[in-house]
Amino acid sequence: MMLYKRDLIENFPILKRKINSRNLVYFDNSATTLTPVRVTDTIKEFYDYHNANVHRGAHLLSNEATEMYENSRKTVAKFINAKTHEIIFTRGTTESINLFAYSIGKSGWLDNKEILITTIEHHSNFVPWQQLSKTFGFSVRYYNPEKGIFVLEEFLKYVNKNTKLISITGLSNVTGQIMPIKEIIEFAHKRDILVHIDGAQLVPHLGVDVSELDVDFLSFSGHKMLGPMGIGVFYGKKRLLKKLPPFHYGGEMINWVSMEETDFAELPEKFQAGTPNVGGAVGLKAAIDYINEIGIDVIKMHSEKLTKYAVEKLKELNFVKLYGPENRISIISFNIDNIHPHDVAQILSDKFGVAVRSGHLCAQPLLKRLETKSVCRASFYFYNSEEEVDIFIDGLKYIKEWFS
Amino acid sequence: MSLEDLYSDIILDYARNPQFQGKIENATIKEEGKNLSCGDEITLFLRVEDKVIKEVKFSGHGCIVSQSSAALLCEVIEGKTLEEAEKILEEVEKMAQGDEFDESIVGNVSVYSEISKFPVRVKCFTLAWHTLENSLDEIK
Repeated sequence: MMLYKRDLIENFPILKRKINSRNLVYFDNSATTLTPVRVTDTIKEFYDYHNANVHRGAHLLSNEATEMYENSRKTVAKFINAKTHEIIFTRGTTESINLFAYSIGKSGWLDNKEILITTIEHHSNFVPWQQLSKTFGFSVRYYNPEKGIFVLEEFLKYVNKNTKLISITGLSNVTGQIMPIKEIIEFAHKRDILVHIDGAQLVPHLGVDVSELDVDFLSFSGHKMLGPMGIGVFYGKKRLLKKLPPFHYGGEMINWVSMEETDFAELPEKFQAGTPNVGGAVGLKAAIDYINEIGIDVIKMHSEKLTKYAVEKLKELNFVKLYGPENRISIISFNIDNIHPHDVAQILSDKFGVAVRSGHLCAQPLLKRLETKSVCRASFYFYNSEEEVDIFIDGLKYIKEWFS
Repeated sequence: MSLEDLYSDIILDYARNPQFQGKIENATIKEEGKNLSCGDEITLFLRVEDKVIKEVKFSGHGCIVSQSSAALLCEVIEGKTLEEAEKILEEVEKMAQGDEFDESIVGNVSVYSEISKFPVRVKCFTLAWHTLENSLDEIK
């Protein structure tokens, strides 16, 4: 499928919005992507005509809701090439990683052992490990790469006989660096080490084939790939998930309950206590259907081209500092000399209609490594264009002028 | 409040004015404040004698809104009693929330009278004031 501006505008009515008489340029896709009409329509249809709790009632609506919910699981499974019961619905990447960290901590698998993470991580793949290591008996080792740029050979030196798990992002939300996860997984598996990938950025931009990668666990969010907020996925290999204890306790995740004991349900229900976000799951299915229609390869090619274009344009501005490696995709963090990122972002928005993120991007250890407190970040998705990059560049020139 | 008002000359001047920037070696209280969502940090120094704030300074880093707000804070509370400072703080907080406030009490801080129209910047604005609140609580 080709990407036509006309189609995109119809699919994303938010792009019709004007800010200061200018078209919205949305460059904050790493925080959350825009939501297409087909996703919001699907959610509306669910609430308008099928709203019921799942897996409980025998009535028609409950049957329909259950079918829609489980169809979404099938779609997600197919999208990452997993088995259906290996897909656990969560609220998002953060909850997925909390679920995983808690369960594997409680399982005893990591007792008196080490896990290896990096300072490149988004807080959601950092804080749960740091905090739960205090609750459970494992320790955390950090690879803190120079200038925040991951180097495989350096990283692997941190693996030792105590390492039992590696948890790492697949695509940095600050530098846009793509991590060599295939190599990490191969290396780890030869040493009986499990690997968890934080796929929050990786899955929407490059897609993931869990079978081909042979990754043990994967977390990602729906709202960073056209879906609604509040729905995410935790994937695990079936044989491993079966060994992990539940995260939350309550309804839905049980087989039977007596006064003294509870027998937990099979996968995936074991990890899904309570009433799930059915509307969210149904919306996520619509989002994935749309991505499949366009093709993840087309999305990747578009991102590569646009990122390259933007980097070239930014390098022409001598007052802009870029962070991260030469090879980056979809995500560009930068600063303007002596102007705080918040001020840059506000003027880009209010004067030029350009939405970029500013702040520490929930990655404070990495920003410390980059020797800055905060940055601006432009992050792209398939609906962004070179014309929009030009507007953004004009905005940066204007801001530099304004404050000097 | 328009963007031009948010980055008006008076606000830019406050942000760049070094008058209140620095440390007080013999401070009565030194209080750190952090804006966790954006990484901005401020340290507020107060030298208090006989319940009067004799000297105020701040250090740290942040955007123009947070820096100018800190400078404005120093300007309006210096020389005030603790009780008066608390009253100013109360009115400024009302202002930040978009509620009615007594302009005569907050002085020049009223350049930010419409900051509530920029909800994501309110946190930048209030960083210094929340730090002051904690300082006053400590002194009490």
